[in-house]
Order: sequence, then structure tokens, then C-alpha cells
Amino acid sequence: MIPGAWVCLLAPLAGALLITLAGASISRRTAAWISTLSVFAAFGGAVASFVGLLGREREEREVVTTAWTWLGTQNFEVGLSLLVDPLSVTMMLIVSGVGGLIVLYSVGYMDGDPEERRYFAYMALFVFSMLLLVQAANFLLLLVGWGLVGLASYLLIGFWHERPEAVAAAKKAFVMNALGDATMALAFFAIIWQTGTLDFQAAFAAFGSDSAGGMSQTLVNLIALGLLGGAVAKSAQIPLHTWLPDAMEGPTPVSALIHAATMVTAGVYLIVRAHPIFELAPSISDLAAGLGAVTLLVAGLVALVQTDIKRVIAYSTMSQIGYMFLGAGLGAYGNGMFHLMTHAFFKALLFMAAGLVIHHLAGEQDIRKMGGVRHAMPRTFAAFLVGSLALVGIPPLSGFFSKDSILASALASGGYGQLLFAAGLLGALLTGLYTFRLLFIVFLGPPSELVQAHRHGHGHGEGPWTMTFPVAVLALLAVVGGWIQIAGVWHPFGEWLDPIAVGREHLALVEPTLTQDYVTSALAVGLGLLGIWAAWAFYGARRRRAVPRAALVRETLEHKLWFDELYDSIFFRPAVLLTGALRRRVEEPLIGGSIDGVGLGARSAGGAVGEAQTGYLRSYALAIAAGVAILVAVFVSVQ
Amino acid sequence: MRGPDPSWYLILSAFLFAIGVAGVLLRRSPLIVLLSLEIMLNASNLALITFARLHGGHDGQIFALAVMAVAAAEVVVGLGLIVAIARRHLDLDVDRLRVLRG
Amino acid sequence: MTTTLILLPLAAALVVWLLPLPGRAAGALALLVALAEVVLFALAVWRFDFDRGLQLQDRQSWFSDLGVSYHVGFFGFSLWLTGLTIVVCAAAIGYALRAGGDRGRAYFGLLLFLTGAIVGVFTAQDLLLFYVFFEAMLIPLYVLIGVWGGPRRLRATALFVIYTMAGSLLMLAAIVAFGLSEGTFSLVDSGTSTNEWVFLGFLAAFAVKAPLFPFHGWLVDAYRESPPEVAAILSGVVSKAAVYGLLRIAIDKFPEPVQEYQTLILSLAAIGLVYGSLLAFRAPDMRAVIAYSSMGQMGLIVLGLFSLSELGVTGAIVHSVAHGLVSASLFLLAGMIEARAGTSAFDRIGGMARGRPALATMLLATGIIALAVPGSVVFAGEFLILAGVYVQGWGWAAVGVGAIVLAAMYMLRLISAVLHAPAGGDAAEATPDLRWPDLSVVVPLLAALLVLSAWPAAISERSFVDVESEPGTELRAR
Repeated sequence: MIPGAWVCLLAPLAGALLITLAGASISRRTAAWISTLSVFAAFGGAVASFVGLLGREREEREVVTTAWTWLGTQNFEVGLSLLVDPLSVTMMLIVSGVGGLIVLYSVGYMDGDPEERRYFAYMALFVFSMLLLVQAANFLLLLVGWGLVGLASYLLIGFWHERPEAVAAAKKAFVMNALGDATMALAFFAIIWQTGTLDFQAAFAAFGSDSAGGMSQTLVNLIALGLLGGAVAKSAQIPLHTWLPDAMEGPTPVSALIHAATMVTAGVYLIVRAHPIFELAPSISDLAAGLGAVTLLVAGLVALVQTDIKRVIAYSTMSQIGYMFLGAGLGAYGNGMFHLMTHAFFKALLFMAAGLVIHHLAGEQDIRKMGGVRHAMPRTFAAFLVGSLALVGIPPLSGFFSKDSILASALASGGYGQLLFAAGLLGALLTGLYTFRLLFIVFLGPPSELVQAHRHGHGHGEGPWTMTFPVAVLALLAVVGGWIQIAGVWHPFGEWLDPIAVGREHLALVEPTLTQDYVTSALAVGLGLLGIWAAWAFYGARRRRAVPRAALVRETLEHKLWFDELYDSIFFRPAVLLTGALRRRVEEPLIGGSIDGVGLGARSAGGAVGEAQTGYLRSYALAIAAGVAILVAVFVSVQ
Repeated sequence: MRGPDPSWYLILSAFLFAIGVAGVLLRRSPLIVLLSLEIMLNASNLALITFARLHGGHDGQIFALAVMAVAAAEVVVGLGLIVAIARRHLDLDVDRLRVLRG
Repeated sequence: MTTTLILLPLAAALVVWLLPLPGRAAGALALLVALAEVVLFALAVWRFDFDRGLQLQDRQSWFSDLGVSYHVGFFGFSLWLTGLTIVVCAAAIGYALRAGGDRGRAYFGLLLFLTGAIVGVFTAQDLLLFYVFFEAMLIPLYVLIGVWGGPRRLRATALFVIYTMAGSLLMLAAIVAFGLSEGTFSLVDSGTSTNEWVFLGFLAAFAVKAPLFPFHGWLVDAYRESPPEVAAILSGVVSKAAVYGLLRIAIDKFPEPVQEYQTLILSLAAIGLVYGSLLAFRAPDMRAVIAYSSMGQMGLIVLGLFSLSELGVTGAIVHSVAHGLVSASLFLLAGMIEARAGTSAFDRIGGMARGRPALATMLLATGIIALAVPGSVVFAGEFLILAGVYVQGWGWAAVGVGAIVLAAMYMLRLISAVLHAPAGGDAAEATPDLRWPDLSVVVPLLAALLVLSAWPAAISERSFVDVESEPGTELRAR
């Protein structure tokens, strides 16, 4: 039992409940600080759990505590159980740490919004849900956390509910995530059917023992596919990615917290957590890696033509999660988690720096109206530059270590891996290009009209300390966060995660050689720099149009490869047509009509029988007499 | 066993019943129809008592008593109706009394 | 104990009818009795031993030569269904008291009578008694819809009467046939039967009551035209009489016909689930959405029952309670919105979240639970049901999860159409928020849902035990 884990989980929930129940009796500022403190309390709990785990032997670093049976029947039980192991503690630290900084940032960002209380309650709810997701000790509780983060994401994307686009985006995000939940649930049903349990340890043990006989390969593949469906939907990978760019309708801190640092990386966590199942279904693992590679390329391309500052970063998030999928799918779990962590730092940093810009420009997000922001906001520019360099993977910033370790693992894992390696390298080029396109357009050049108009509008410079302080901390982390694991020098992060491996010593399936590491780094950094140079050539030196002119390419990219249109025409429209047809062809004529038919039939039958009611007493009497006579005759003849 | 054979009573009962039926079917005056009904009821009473005698039980006699009570009640209602009709100066003719509306 | 639970509301109904009280006083009395009933129920739960089967029994011979007796008692699962009844009916009476209609004495008397009859249905252990309570439950409903309903109440009542009468009469025939062939009408003493016709007779009644596709012709009109609190009872509680009947009679007494018709019933349930969810997605007003969604959810429950697996049947009970609370809350909220805006048609209202935090919070919370967000008790029930039916074939479970995605779509559509969409003509700025009389009706229902969400095992682990006299013992053995 590690009490810190419970503190970590329950503090944000308590914060959310407190804000909700107190309602208007506390001031909006108080609500904001309650929420912030509760998340930092969770961080304290996470640190306590981390320390508690460090004090244990390697074999004992897996602690399950059950509060009570959450759902059960006579022969099936699922507990409200928390699992504290290196993987969950890593996620707890990231979620509560980065989460705390972002909530603190929100204190400044949301200042003055009339519905601040609701916002901060939702934020605390989200952190609670995310912690539940990563701390769950069984699949069902994981799904609960999984669904609740989707809910919190829905609530926060649609926070400004008077904007129809925000409400539509929130609904879209929820429904696409529900689709992922559904495929995961199907996988869970199969797991129950086969193993009779949903506890991680018991289920993985059952999978390990049954791999020879028992379960068919098809079934294992289907289970892994169901899990992958959930991961793909939550992490916005192709083909279930279309909700993430739209989700930028939410407030910027929400984008930083949910759609960059934590929730969208849950898919990677799931693959690492369920690695015993994915390893039994190698084709599905390969599929995961392949989807990651496709996503990182497509998202990188689409990011090139976006004109909304947040959408560019959103596509970049998709692309980076593609790298993590690539790594996790190929068995480089530790490296995937490593990139997850550094990405949380620098991507939250980018979003929050972008938020400072948006805040400064009173909500404007269109980069075509920006330019020369550097002069007004030099420190923000510095933070954005740090984040961008980390994102592109320029040494010695954090992204360099984590991204290159994934690519090196890809290079080391055979022919398929090398194909993905090539895709990853191309992605590095694209990353440099789209990141610095954004940076050059927004920050360099002469100040645009809009920027000049806002230059003297704000007295407090680049933002209140609640906003600038978290940005500074994250900028620091984005610089140093990668130093905890340096290829060929030391691997404390990988060794820390090793105990979660089921049935073997080391977690990683592939171990690149030192040569592979260096070759990868040289190529990746070179291509990243090439991308930056290209961006400078196109957008920095000479101010080109923000969007290329070639019509077909532009249109394709602007429509995000027509995924929205495709889903609209193959799912939504048929569903609407089907529903209309059901109502017109089945509900009204058959169901409603049949009952009307019964009514009409009864009425006409009544009319026909009514004819016999002549009113002549004697005819009734005769009918009675005749009836009696017939009855008597029948009885007599039967006797 | 004293008296005539019970089958004679049954024959008499059948006769009475037939007379009653004929009266109901053929006569127009509601009063006579009511009388005929009474004849039918009494015919069935006679049959019930005969059967009670035949089987040596008392069930039939009890039934007959019940029938008498019902018959008395029915006559009250029937006569009441007839008086009511007569007061309204309607024809006392069952062929004309075809509708329930007053 | 059990008899008290049944008789208290019935007796109170008589008192309300006979005493010449003014309408509001009658309502207050009714509410008091309903709350006393809640306390009694809590007492029953406290006295109930969840490790044993049928208990808290009362038994009196009624027609001894036919083997008919007045015999009532609780199983674990019927205890939960009864609790649902009592809580929802109390909320409905509270709502009616606040809404204050005409002819209050008659109205509240009928609501109390209805409560007692439904409790009777869930506790009857004798087929004839079950039928008596079943009919006693329907008659007040006819009157409540027909007299106090909306503008098209006569058509709604006619449909309701025709459908339910047809079902009940088939059930009566089946009861007579079953009881005479067994020599007793007692559900405890009688054995099992293989007679398909008798089985189908029971099935007909419950399929109409649930309703199962395609026997739902009465559903939308009845749910739309009745007063909101009656719709709440109708969809939340009365439909669960079908669940009880299917489990206690159809599945328990007809093991072989159940096997034979399993695929057919599962198909109808699955069709109803998808069909109801699809129609709910395009329905034009709030009540119609809840009505069709109710139909879909009942399909899901039947799917669980006829999975004939421990998980599925347990899930059906959990989901029955959860759905009862959810749909009752939604109907009451719909009623409150109608009382304010005069309509719940989506094109006439909207934007109600603005400046109305209580309404927004209640509708959002209930709606989110209704769409089975993971962690809610609705989710727990659906998860168990689908995990159970998965064993009968993964296709059923796939249809089920697909329908849950549809549920997310129609509930989100409802939420945003009421709360977020640009305000329509009838949602004036001045339309007031919920006040404490409204909240005191809905908050307890929501609180019950939240407590059950934290601990669904309270129901799922306490519905069935492995004892001889338990319905479903047979099916667990398979």
C-alpha cells in the first residue's frame, strides 16, 4: 500500500467536488486556487509514490491496493484497485506535474471569464480521470478513466458553449472517442471470456500461459486490434484523428493539458501497459507502428498549410504521437515513454507560449494576421524558440534524445523497421519545416497591423506571473528533460521501467547499437536543420504567403486529405438517411399503421355486427332459443 | 315412492317451458311477455325440484328458491318499466319499442 | 414487512380518495406516505439477508382448491426493483405536488395506488396474484394518461389500452393454462414447463410492456402525452415489470422454450436497441428522444436477460435500476423545461445553459450518465450485459457497443439542443432556472445514481445467490 497514490488520485476529485458543491458561495479566484492546489497536492502524492517505489527492491515495485469491489457477480469481480509500478508512477508524475503547471497558467489565462468555477472544476475532474486511467490496476478501471478523460475533454472543448463550433467539436471528439471505447470494450469482453478476469496481472499471466494452446491467434489478434482501436481514437492517429484539430476550439490551456501533454498520449500508455498482449499479436503491433508512421507524415504535411496557430501545434502533436506509436509498436516501449515525457514538456510549452500570444492579441488565432510579435513579447519568443528547437530535436534539447532513440530503435528492428525509420526521418524534415514556418511567420518580420494595435493595449507586458512562471518552468524542463537518458552513456529511464516487463528482464525488445544511435542522430539532426533552413528560405528571409499556391496540393492539405468529408458521407449521411427511411417506411406505416388498422378493423366489424341489432325483442328471443336448442342438440349428441 | 312417476313432472315442465317460449316469441304486449317469462322460470323451477327429488338431494330445491328470488326481483323491475312506459303514453307493443332512447 | 410495503400506499390511496381534503393537502399526504415508504424500504434492505433466497415472505391461502395463494416476498433482485419503484414514485409524487394539477385528490390517490400495485408486481410469488397486481398497475395508468394527459391523450390512451390489454389477456390465458396443468399457481411450488404456447403467452405480455420491437406502437404517444411524472413512472418503473416477469416467469419456468426462442428474442432485442437508438437520434423533441432511447435500453436489458449467463442477467438488473433512475430524471427534467418554455421541441428551445446553472448542471449530469460514460452505473450495467451476451456470439456484443456509440450521439444532441444551440422562440431570456422545489425532486435521483456509480457492486453482488429456490439457478448450471 502506497498512500501517496491515493492522495494523488483523490485530491483533484476532492477539488472538483468542492468547487461544484460550493457553487457561487466561493469567489471565482478561490475556485481557481482550489483547483490548482488540488492538482499540486496530487503531484505531491505522485512524488511520494515515486519515493516509496524507489525504496523498494526491483521485484517489489508493483503494488496493488484495492479499496472495494467496484463491480462484481458471484464469479467475477473487478475491484477499485490502484496499481503503483514504475510505469504508472511515471505517468502520474507527468500528468500531475505538467497538469499542475497548466492549471496554474489557467489562473491567469481564464481570469475574468464569467464561468471560471465551472472551468476549474472540469480541469480538476480531468486530472482526476487521467490519474485514474494511469493508476488503474485492471482493464475495466482503465476504461473508466479512459471514458472520463473523454468526458472531461468534451466538457472542456465545449466550454465556450455559446460558440456553435466549440459545441460541435466537443461532440465530435466525444463520439470518436466513444468509438474507440467501444472497440476496447469488445476486446475486454473477449478477455473476460478467455481468462475470466480483467486484472492486469492475472490476465497477462493467463495470456502468457495460454499462448501455446487455448486461444487462437485470430482471437488474440482481435483483442489486440480492439485495444489498438481505443488507443488510436484517444491518441488521434489515422484514421480516427479528425477530432483533434477541431478540439482546438477549447481554451488554450485545455489544449496544452489534454490535447498535447496528457490525454492524447494515453494510447501510447495503453500499448506499453498491455505489451504482453501486443507481443502475442505481432501483426497488430506492426500495424500500430505503421499507423504511427503514416500519421506522423500526414500530420506533418497538413501542418504545413494550417493558418490557425493552435491547429499547427495540434497537427504537430498528432505527428509526435505518431513517433511514440512507432516506437511502442516496434517494442521500444521505454523510448516511446521517454518521448511521451519530453513531448509533454515541450508541447505544453509551445501551447502555453502560443496562449500568451493569443492572450496578448485578445483571442486572435490566425497566423496570417500575426507577425513581428517578437518585439512585443521577447520572453515569449524565447520560450517558443526553446519549445520549437526541442520539437525539431536539436541537441542538447530534450526532443533530440527521445525522438532519436525511437528512430534508432526503428533502424535496429529489421526491414519493416527500416522502412518506418525512413518515414521517421522524412518526418523530422517536415517537423523542422512546419515548426519554424510557424515561428517565423508569427514572431519575425515587421509587426503586423493587428500586433501594433495591441501593442499598447495591455499594461502587464507578456502576461501575469501565473502565466509566465509555468512557461519558464516548462522551458527549463524542455531543455534539461532529455538528459535523464543519453544513448550510449546512461539509461536510468529505461532501467526504471524495466520491472513492468512481464516474463523477461528488460522491457525493450530492440536495443540499437551505438553506431545506429549515432547514425540516426546525425541524419535526424541534419534533416531537422534542413527543414529549418527551408522554412527560413520560404517564410523567414522573404515573407512568402503563408499558404502555398498549387491548387490541388493546397486544397487536399487544407481539407486534411478529406477525412471529414469521407466520414460524413460513409457514416453520418447514411445514418441520417436510414433513420429517415425507418421513420417513414417502418415506424409510421407498419408500427403506427398496424395499430390504426386494428382500430379500423374493430370499427368496421362492430358496424357489421351492429346490423344484427334490430331492436325487435322477438328476434333476440328467437336467437336465444335457437342457441339453446343448438347447445342441447350438441350435448345430447355428444352424450 | 308416492305420487306419479317423476318423468310426468318433467314432461309438464317441458310443456310449460314451451308455452312460455311461444308466449315470448309470439305476443306483443310486454306484460304478456313478462308473464310468459315467469312461466318459463317456473317450468325450470319444477324441473329443478323434480331432479332434486330424483337424486335425493337438496341442491335443486335451493336453486329453485334462488330462481324465485331472482324472478321476483325481475318482475319488479319489469313491471316498473312497463308502468313507466305506460305513463309516457307510449304504445305497449314490443315491436314498436325498438330504440333505447326515451 | 412486504405486505406493509404493498398495503401502505393502497390504503393511503383510499384515504386520499375518501377524505375531503383540498388538492395540495392530499398531495402533501401522498408525499408523506411515499417518503414513509422509502423509510420502510430502507428497513427492508437492512433486514434482508443477501446470502439467502426468497425472504420477508407473507403467505395466505386464497383459493385453496386451485392452489392460489396470497404469497409475497423478496429476492435480492426484486428488492432492488422495488427500491427503484419506491424512489421513482416518491419523486413523481413530489413533482406532481409542485406542478399542482386539477382534481388533486383523484390524481394523488391514483399515483399512490399505482405505487402499491407495482410493488405488488415485484413481490408476487403467485401467478394469479401477479396478474391481479399487473392489472392493478395498468388501470391507474389508463386513467392518468387519459384524463390528465396532453392534447392527444385520447389516442395515446387508446393505443396503450389496446396493446396492454392484448398482452395481458394472452398472459391470463397462459397463467390459467400453466396453473391448471401444474395444479398450483404458486411460483415457488410449481415446476417447469415445456409448453411453447404458454411461454409465448407470457412473452407477449412482457414484450408489449418492455416494449420489445415491434410491439412498441404505444410507446411514443404514451410517453409524450402523459404528464411528465407519469411518463417517468411508465418508462422508469413500469417497463421493469417486464424485466421481472421475463426473469421470474419466462426464463425460470420455461427453460426449454427459452433455449428454443433465444435467438429470436435476442434478435428482436438487438433490432429494438438499434432501431430505438436511431430514431432517438432524429426525434424532434426531448420526450421523443427519451422515449425511443428507453425502448433501446429495454432492448439492451432483454439482451442481457436472454444471454442466459450470470454476467448478462446480473447486468440486466443493474441496468434496470440505472435506466429507471435515469429515464425518470430525464422525464422530470423534460417536464420542468416544458413547464417553463411550454414545449420541449428542439427547434423551439435552446441556449438554456446561459444564466441557468442549476438546470444546465442537472441536465448535463443526467445526460452524461444516460449515455453510459464509463464509471457510471449505466456503464456498469451495460458492460456486464454485453460481457454476458458476448458468450452467445460476439456479434450481439458488437451490435450492443455500436448502439452505445449511438446513445452517445443522441444524448449529446439532446444536451446541446436544449442547453447550447441558439435559443429558439420559446426559450425567453426570462425563463427561470430550477428552484429548490424542482431540485428537491431531481437531486435525490441524481444522488442515487452517483452513489450507485461509485459502487455498482451494491446491486450486482446482491441480486442473486446460489440457492435452490432462486430463479436462474438452472441457467447458471449450464
